[in-house]
Amino acid sequence: MIISNFDHKMAAHCESGTITSLLKYAGLDITEPLVFGISSGIFFGYFHKSKSFAFPTFIVRSRPGQMRKNIEKRLGLRFTSYTFNDPVKGMYTLDQLLSKNIPTACQVDFFYMDYVPSWEKVHINVHFMVAVGKEGDTYKISDSYFPTMVELNHSALEKGRFAGGSMSPKGFIFHTDKIPQTIDYQSAITKGIKKACFNMLKIPLPFIGIRGMRMFAKKIMEWPNLARDTEHLSHEIMKINILLEDQGTGGAGFRFMYATFLQQASEIIQKPQLKELSKQLMEIGDGWREISLFSARIGKNRDLGQDKLKQLSDMISDRAQVEEMFFNQLAKTIH
Amino acid sequence: MKEKDGFINCPEQQMILYVEKDDGKYGPMQTGSYISSNFLDDFFTKRKNLEKDLRDQLCLGKISPIQYYRILEDLTLSELSARVGIRKSKVKKHLDIKGFGDITAAELVKYALVFNVPVPNLLQVILVEINQEIESLITLENKTGNIFISQTGTANPYFVLTKIEEKKR
Repeated sequence: MIISNFDHKMAAHCESGTITSLLKYAGLDITEPLVFGISSGIFFGYFHKSKSFAFPTFIVRSRPGQMRKNIEKRLGLRFTSYTFNDPVKGMYTLDQLLSKNIPTACQVDFFYMDYVPSWEKVHINVHFMVAVGKEGDTYKISDSYFPTMVELNHSALEKGRFAGGSMSPKGFIFHTDKIPQTIDYQSAITKGIKKACFNMLKIPLPFIGIRGMRMFAKKIMEWPNLARDTEHLSHEIMKINILLEDQGTGGAGFRFMYATFLQQASEIIQKPQLKELSKQLMEIGDGWREISLFSARIGKNRDLGQDKLKQLSDMISDRAQVEEMFFNQLAKTIH
Repeated sequence: MKEKDGFINCPEQQMILYVEKDDGKYGPMQTGSYISSNFLDDFFTKRKNLEKDLRDQLCLGKISPIQYYRILEDLTLSELSARVGIRKSKVKKHLDIKGFGDITAAELVKYALVFNVPVPNLLQVILVEINQEIESLITLENKTGNIFISQTGTANPYFVLTKIEEKKR
């Protein structure tokens, strides 16, 4: 049994893509950038030491799960969600929902998704995709990172849904429940932007927002001391490109998608200043893209001396400076 | 970024990029991954070298198979401990060969589940000679010329069927 009228579409990011496709199926015409922007998805955080990460890393989006909660609150809609201790019960509940033709979003560890090519496989417990049917032991999956629907067997899906560790999914699933008749986009967009500006500018932690970018710029100079060898350092430096471009960001660490949100928002709430700011952010994103390409190049060439790392550090510092100005301006515009 | 600058030919890894279209509107385009398109061979070389280095240490008894897979799968000690449900101090012991000797079969099953490998592969590395080079099956991705190796689990959690077959030409 497959939910035949579910429209599979690729999206930039798994969580915003999953939410967008569920909302569209439920009849709400909304774009991925609007979901991302209204839910204050844009973010920055640098983690130099962590129990969960084997090497320093950074994030460019809000905490997983936050987009769903924020969009629910700001658009006044409702998702029904479930977590489970018992995998058997968790898989049974999913099957029951599918048998009622309810497309259901699942949180999984990306590593166990058999349809993912080996070079993309990483243990990350916060991947989202939509189950849209089951035939025999095989689930039909709409994963927004893939051009067509994919298939996954019961065992792999169960492993992914019930992986342990940091941010363990605990079988988490959700589906749309209620979509309101009318939506106050003016309020939703305003709240979304205000919270994004707060996250980037005001959280008083040295590793979050603009402060986090500056910490990243400084600490990257220490990366050679933390790597096992040159190949390991090269791998970690090249991962900057992956984190900014390939891990579902829509390019430039979500900056291009947020620029698209601002352009769409300016038309919806009739605020032309947001359109001007969207242009600025597109240019800021081009700078992040340069960082991505530079990281890939020096990593590939093993050209990882202090001079090159300093160059990379300066490029990141420069982004911190322009983003600080940008988010201050955005905050003033929306106030 | 302009749409014309966004296209990358990489059918193996497609993605969505937000770009400026010709009419000045921003929107999504389907394109390929830059890094996979240009540097995938480099990734595989590094992975192959890392596997070889860890395998050498494994053969010399410097590390345990748990440490071998932990590093290959980029898991911290805390993360591995949380995933297998075995306390951190015990996992730490399992990382060296002396502590690995005390491991139970039930614990091996837990590790195998997390690493997504058959239990017997925690006690062996399958090597394949191809183009006069010896390489581990896990980095070869079944690019094994005219032979195909598959490992299938059974209802018995301690037992796996390893099948080696000649591909039909």
